[in-house]
Amino acid sequence: MAVGASHYDFDRFGIIFRGSPRQADCVIVAGTVTKKMAPVVRRVYDQIPEPRYVVAMGSCACTGGVFKTYSTVQGCDSFLPVDVYVPGCPPRPETLLEGMMMLQEKIRKEQARWSPWR
Amino acid sequence: MAVTEVRLTLQPAALAPVAIAEIIKEKFPTQVIEVVEFRDQASVIVKKDQIVAILRFLHDDPILSLNHLQDLTAVDYLKKKEIRFEVVYNLYSIRYRHQIRIRAQVPENDPKIDSVVSIWSGADWHERECFDMFGIHFSGHPDLRRILMPEDWEGFPLRKDYPLKGPEFDKDWPGFTDVVKRSKELREFEWEG
Repeated sequence: MAVGASHYDFDRFGIIFRGSPRQADCVIVAGTVTKKMAPVVRRVYDQIPEPRYVVAMGSCACTGGVFKTYSTVQGCDSFLPVDVYVPGCPPRPETLLEGMMMLQEKIRKEQARWSPWR
Repeated sequence: MAVTEVRLTLQPAALAPVAIAEIIKEKFPTQVIEVVEFRDQASVIVKKDQIVAILRFLHDDPILSLNHLQDLTAVDYLKKKEIRFEVVYNLYSIRYRHQIRIRAQVPENDPKIDSVVSIWSGADWHERECFDMFGIHFSGHPDLRRILMPEDWEGFPLRKDYPLKGPEFDKDWPGFTDVVKRSKELREFEWEG
């Protein structure tokens, strides 16, 4: 929330929140994923047009955190291809900013061609 | 002087929890098992058979008027008490601002108790959660389904003999194992930059 607001401001890095996965390039998994929620998260990911990226934000999304229980997914990388893991419980806004900048770095280094003109 | 008298009639005095417990004991002498008092809070442990009659009396009685059900939940006393479960009703009177706790004993071999949705319609979801987590069946409930866990989940997670880490992965909830399996199948189509 704070990263999107004016103090830290995602927009100056060209990162803009969208209301629909069909308009998105990247999904931030921000919080605990329960087993009941996992199929829903996967469906949201499947709706994103390619190329698409995943950022796991916080210990819970990265590893399940302190919740090693019957209902919690032990890291959302068990069913999503995660590109950047942002640690912290919760992460500082700066940490999330750096995570997104690392993702931009990763995209910049990509060699594969998506189409004849890109 | 006159002002004080008016205030007294406008704001009726609350009853002490122990006094409420005494009233219940007088009204239902065969149903009350024990009255426990701790830090000015009283809980009345009752048998489960007449629970709707007891709570209906507490709700309707003009002196008690316990018209607000603060909470409805259960406790699992595995290996601590002879009768395993207790369903807990925290009652509050919005008019008199006094409260009482009612605990009904529910045995393990027949985990059933009558539903109180007819008294407080807000008890609906509380009883569903109680059924979801402890497997206590509320007879007379209009729609007794699981509320938090998936509907095809096996077991009751808040029971003390349920493992915290849940069942083994290959015996895990099929909805989750399906997602993991499908994501492994789709991984080869992911775009590697």
